[in-house]
Amino acid sequence: MQEDKLSDDIKNIVKKWEGKKGSLIMILHDVQNIYGYVPRETSLQLSKYMDVPLARIYEVITFYHFFKLVPPGKHLVQVCMGTACYLKGASELLHELRDILGVREGGTSKDGLFQLEVVRCLGCCGLAPVMKIDEKVYSKVGKDRVADIIAEYEEEQVAK
Amino acid sequence: MDKKIIYIKDTSFALDRTKDVHAILLNGLRDRGMQDSVQAVRVADIGAYNQGVVVKVLPDTTYYGVKDEDLGRILDAVKQGTVVKELAARKEPGQLRIVLRNCGVIDPESIEEYMANEGYQAIKKVLFGLKTQDNTIDEMKKSGLRGRGGAGYPTWMKWNFAKKMASDQKYVICNGDEGDPGAYMDRSVLEGDPHSVVEGMMIAGFSVGASVGYFYIRAEYPLAVERIQKAIDQCYANGLLGKNILGSDFNFDLEIRLGAGAFVCGEETALIASIEGKRGAPHPRPPYPSVKGLWDKPTVINNVETLANVAYIINRGGDAFAKVGTQTSKGTKVFALTGKVKNSGLVEVPMGTTIREIVFDIGGGVYKNKNIKAVQTGGPSGGVIPKDFLDTPVDYENLQKLGSIMGSGGMIVMDEDDCMVDIARFYQRFCFDESCGKCSPCRIGTAQMLGFLSKIAEGRGEIGDLDNLRRIAQSMQRAALCGLGQTAPNPVISTLRYYEDEYRVHILDKKCPSKKCRDLLSYKIIPEKCKKCGLCFMNCEAKAITGNKDDGYIIDMNKCVRCGRCFEVCKFKAVGKE
Amino acid sequence: MSKITKESLENIAKQPKKEENNWIKVGMSSCGIAAGADEVFKVLTEEVKKRNIPVAVKKCGCVGMCSVEPLVEVNVDGMPQVTYGRVNGEVAIQIIEEHIHNHRLVNDHIYDIQVKK
Repeated sequence: MQEDKLSDDIKNIVKKWEGKKGSLIMILHDVQNIYGYVPRETSLQLSKYMDVPLARIYEVITFYHFFKLVPPGKHLVQVCMGTACYLKGASELLHELRDILGVREGGTSKDGLFQLEVVRCLGCCGLAPVMKIDEKVYSKVGKDRVADIIAEYEEEQVAK
Repeated sequence: MDKKIIYIKDTSFALDRTKDVHAILLNGLRDRGMQDSVQAVRVADIGAYNQGVVVKVLPDTTYYGVKDEDLGRILDAVKQGTVVKELAARKEPGQLRIVLRNCGVIDPESIEEYMANEGYQAIKKVLFGLKTQDNTIDEMKKSGLRGRGGAGYPTWMKWNFAKKMASDQKYVICNGDEGDPGAYMDRSVLEGDPHSVVEGMMIAGFSVGASVGYFYIRAEYPLAVERIQKAIDQCYANGLLGKNILGSDFNFDLEIRLGAGAFVCGEETALIASIEGKRGAPHPRPPYPSVKGLWDKPTVINNVETLANVAYIINRGGDAFAKVGTQTSKGTKVFALTGKVKNSGLVEVPMGTTIREIVFDIGGGVYKNKNIKAVQTGGPSGGVIPKDFLDTPVDYENLQKLGSIMGSGGMIVMDEDDCMVDIARFYQRFCFDESCGKCSPCRIGTAQMLGFLSKIAEGRGEIGDLDNLRRIAQSMQRAALCGLGQTAPNPVISTLRYYEDEYRVHILDKKCPSKKCRDLLSYKIIPEKCKKCGLCFMNCEAKAITGNKDDGYIIDMNKCVRCGRCFEVCKFKAVGKE
Repeated sequence: MSKITKESLENIAKQPKKEENNWIKVGMSSCGIAAGADEVFKVLTEEVKKRNIPVAVKKCGCVGMCSVEPLVEVNVDGMPQVTYGRVNGEVAIQIIEEHIHNHRLVNDHIYDIQVKK
């Protein structure tokens, strides 16, 4: 990551929200949209440009589940743990993913390909149980389908 | 219509004979020479359940429980244009769409389509017909609309409090932080009819004297955010937002702020902190937001579904709206009907509809024809309603009496396989994860309760734990700072109230009657049924199954990790689980 | 587009509501898209264009029948208004060929039929 490039992006984001009250969370959303997480250097720079103590920025980042401090795996695997999904077998689904990927929730698989996360309700309760890989939602996923779905992404990686 | 249409579906739970009946109908049509003038079609859903074969003849004749031998008479009647009176049936139970009036009807990205469906007529009526804040609030008072986000506080009173405050700046906020895992009506409305929520915000803004409004929407709902932003942009481009709206002296601006994955931010003081860019920690009320809210200014916070009702009320009049519903709860409620129900989805019914009507007549009954055990409403702040109370008409007061709440409208159906200890533990884990940590009753209480529940579910429970759970629950209800903490014990309290027996079996017999709690299960091979095929042996990753094809197999429960694989793979049901 | 005024809103209100016919609507909320509505929308638009059928393919929000998404609603002259569920590319083509072209309803995918007044 180049220092100058980083600064430009940050400057643009800060400029976009200039003069608006209470914009820190929105700025962090914009940062995470670019990098996939909130790098420490960025927080330092934000602190400088916005004249906000670093501790204030970190207290917000660590409070909200959505913000990440470390780079996520290449593909984000999200298992919905809403009530509807839970009743229809989401925990079995999660167990299966843990076994296949060899990580627990919040972790990145050894090859750096997958990031396993548990989310609270993707709002597709009628299709439970639901998992999401990047932008694609897999509905009514039985645990027997998990291995095939993951394999698709692995093959795609090999093909590259 | 160029052709007459008959459509059929076998709605029996056990065996679906739709195709056979369809074939008989086709033959019957051919015999009568009607094959070209009438089309008989198999449908996937006919809006009735467990009624045997249902035959509908367009436009409006329905026959339930049709026997094969009746089909001929029905076709004869169709030919003559008459009805077989003794077979024709009552009207079906209906939904009533007020909140979802435009969802699935109009293109949510088109302001023109919204306007062609009464769109922005309500704000016009407010500005030029009702003219004053008081008249508008009065209309809301007549409607009897209560907040759809949880507590059910009358909307007009909220507005009136904020209106009465003297201040240079006031705000209105749309709470789109739908955090109840299992409810998604707000997402659906934001995605399917964004302009109606925008219009609701404008009317709320006018009524309280606010010139700025914020949408607070979960970051997990990107499409909702995109569609609301589009709606806002279209309004600005058309002069419906900004200065001097429609030539009046009403100015109003709208902006979106994103949540970042914190359940507590659905609580209004925490939500305000989050919009201010801070940690979403709640603060004690009073002062209420209508007195001192966003940036210490008077603020009204309404939920998405509440706001989606507003334009309808103004257009049709508060009195007309108040005709729908019960004595204390007016209008309709949208439920996200999910869990072990056949047709999961969104359902909008008049207040006062019974839970049984919602689950069985509209939802089609329980998934896989199992027996219903309970219905959960109100999410992590609500409780379970056992099957004995299915005939309760749904409104705010009735649900509260049963130890649950209306909440945002999740309605989760549970069947006999669902364990109440497990459910209580699921919700408690949720509340433990989501507790913001500011007050100790909630921070420590949720952790302690989760500990006791886990202990019970894992077979280490003691009978005294039940009293401990009750004591902690009571202290949390009394002492926690915000709504999340005060209501977090509800799932535990309500499962203990109705299903204490189930807790006792877990504790005393170390068994889970619903066979859900993994640690309490034991597997064994039933020799009479076992064909010694060895499939379980091959599939056991834990190497807990030993034996061979001659002597048969046994499971060593000391090695077993209770994955259930052997139970699933056995084709002869020779693996017993208890 | 010019600005909307009080008068233009009054005009809209005065006009009798036009009942448009000949459209196909695809439910395109998160749940619909998750179940594959994108693909269905694409197939329908392409086929309508390819066959030069005078039918508008539109997007709409969620009607609430989430367990049977993707949902497609069809309204053409001479036919009742029909909601098809669990639609995939194949069924989408059947809808075009059977329902729209031959005026015959497609079996096994209908979830709602509304009679036009």
